[in-house]
Amino acid sequence: MIKHSWMFKPFSDLPIALVDEGGDWVADFPLELPPDFLRGLYRDMLAARLLDEKFVILIRTGKTSFIAPHAGHEAAQAGIAQALQRGHDWLFPYYRDMGLMVAMGVPLREIFGQMLGNAADPAKGRQMPSHPGSKALNIFTVCSAIASHIPPAAGAAISMKLKGSGQVSVCTFGDGATSEGDWYAGINFAAVQGAPAVFACLNNRYAISVDLSHQTAAHRIADKAHAFGIPGYRVDGMDVLGSYFVMREVIERARAGHGPALVELEVYRYGPHSSADDDSRYRPKEEVEAAKRRDPIERFRRFLEKQGLWNLEWEEMLRADLKAQIDRALEEAEAMGEVPALAMFDDVFAEPTWNLREQRELVREELR
Amino acid sequence: MPTLTIIQAINAALDEEMARDTRVMVLGEDVGKRGGVFLATEGLQQKYGPDRVMDTPLSEAAIIGAAVGMAAHGMRPVAEIQFADYVFPGFDQLVSQAAKLRYRSGGQFTAPMVVRMPTGGGVKGGHHHSQSPEAHFAHTAGLKVVVVSGPYDTKGLLKSAIRDDDPVVFMEPKRLYRAVKEEVPSQEYLIPIGKAAIRRQGHDLTLISYGGSMVETQKAAEELAGVGISAEVIDLRTVMPWDKEAVLASVARTGRALVIAEAPRMASVASEVAATIAEELLDQLEAPPLRVTGFDTPYPYAQDKLYMPTVTRILNAAKRVLDY
Repeated sequence: MIKHSWMFKPFSDLPIALVDEGGDWVADFPLELPPDFLRGLYRDMLAARLLDEKFVILIRTGKTSFIAPHAGHEAAQAGIAQALQRGHDWLFPYYRDMGLMVAMGVPLREIFGQMLGNAADPAKGRQMPSHPGSKALNIFTVCSAIASHIPPAAGAAISMKLKGSGQVSVCTFGDGATSEGDWYAGINFAAVQGAPAVFACLNNRYAISVDLSHQTAAHRIADKAHAFGIPGYRVDGMDVLGSYFVMREVIERARAGHGPALVELEVYRYGPHSSADDDSRYRPKEEVEAAKRRDPIERFRRFLEKQGLWNLEWEEMLRADLKAQIDRALEEAEAMGEVPALAMFDDVFAEPTWNLREQRELVREELR
Repeated sequence: MPTLTIIQAINAALDEEMARDTRVMVLGEDVGKRGGVFLATEGLQQKYGPDRVMDTPLSEAAIIGAAVGMAAHGMRPVAEIQFADYVFPGFDQLVSQAAKLRYRSGGQFTAPMVVRMPTGGGVKGGHHHSQSPEAHFAHTAGLKVVVVSGPYDTKGLLKSAIRDDDPVVFMEPKRLYRAVKEEVPSQEYLIPIGKAAIRRQGHDLTLISYGGSMVETQKAAEELAGVGISAEVIDLRTVMPWDKEAVLASVARTGRALVIAEAPRMASVASEVAATIAEELLDQLEAPPLRVTGFDTPYPYAQDKLYMPTVTRILNAAKRVLDY
């Protein structure tokens, strides 16, 4: 637990960072995290990066139809996953969160099942790729409609408060989401109720091609928290420990009954918006290259090395292990085969209505 | 047995369900202290507290969207939208979240919730207090849609809607809120969603209606009886899934059908029912099924009564199918 309650000041001018780009711990409090935990953060980030690279191969080989690259978001994603109580708290993610799913402990086989839309997908291939969810881990299945998951995240938080369940509802989204009406509607309701909700914006400065200056006239997204009467935090989302500590603080603050917070995690999306996008049309290559030089994984590697927790041998072992896990999970997922055609008619309602039964029969006849 | 209005029947159903199941809660604008602008939730906050009868910010997206999250987390929320005309800021929450949650998660997450809303015209409300938007919901896979016409049904159907494991849009014709009184048992009873009611038995033609238009439909049937024509009257009660079996069984006997509803005609529930009758019963029909509906205009203020199917308009249509 955090020794000094509410260490971080909201609405800071500079983004909160605890490890600088040289890999030095620059916080004004001692780092008291076990080595295994720190190595685990690195492992989660590396797994997310390798998964992203594997997704590119999936799209190039025609095995999937869509990817939403998350490289550049890994520090924020690993930090968020470790800050909440996995399997107890609820997570309301968005479509660029596959790296977060790995860190949350969603089995890689399920992740690939979702990417393939086949029988390995716990959601039975119902949605386009990059739309995960897991009831077992309280991860609310992603909905494409931007910011539409914010009011449900608020509602779940209100339910948690009413039940006294001791849970927190954590919701992630991009910078574009903060322009939607439902974003305001949801956070406002959670704030009014003082519900245990944390709203985390992974701000990569682009909503497809629209840059932040065309998204909002607000100085910072964190400043929008003023409108709800809740604290807003600006965090260097390329710093995994900064992301982790701030998220942990606001999550525990919400759990203790002090209401929601908005956290802006400044990240950068290395790849295009999706496999259907060409980002060279709207942002200069130099900007992307400059962002990659601030790579969150490299920064944390330097940190671990300085702490005596990293060497090349371990890195190579870790990479080989993760790659093997990824390859094996993909093979397992592929082996599960297609979702049965008639499953299309399941799960519209608890019990199919007569129109669905008729339509199912029509397709059954057609396939005979 | 107490005699209740529709408003009182709603209140009784909510009260009984909240007493029965602590997961049931009510949320919406003015539902708490005020007891709702139509007083449907009167006295409930005093009885169950501000957490279970929750006044919300003025945001339909927040009300419906939060209900989705509450339902997914294990509550049984009953959301009130002050007028059906104002559901549209929350429409995305109904269409993208509530309706699709079970499906998109492969059955992992569900949204057992009710969204109540006063619907329909006849109260001099102009187009933003008079519309009948049920077709939008019926057209959205994953939503059930109930439209009530009387106090007895209201209580039994609302209790079923609250216990349903899927999202139910529950529409209440506001012009009937206090216009009809019926004996409503104070003990437990449920009316199943998806089952129509035969309001009047007949053999010359079938009048199929629901919601507010049931009043004019019943009057038209009376007038027809006065001239020796026996009309069967069916109240659909649920428009998704509507009771195809009951409708087709009746029309197969009478050979003539009118579908009457005050919603605009284009792509309406009435159109769906009429099309199904035509598709499935062509050989047994004595005349084409006709629709008597509201018009494809925004709901007018000055012609408030003229917009909705009048008894005259129903009788004229009946004459057309009888003389065909």
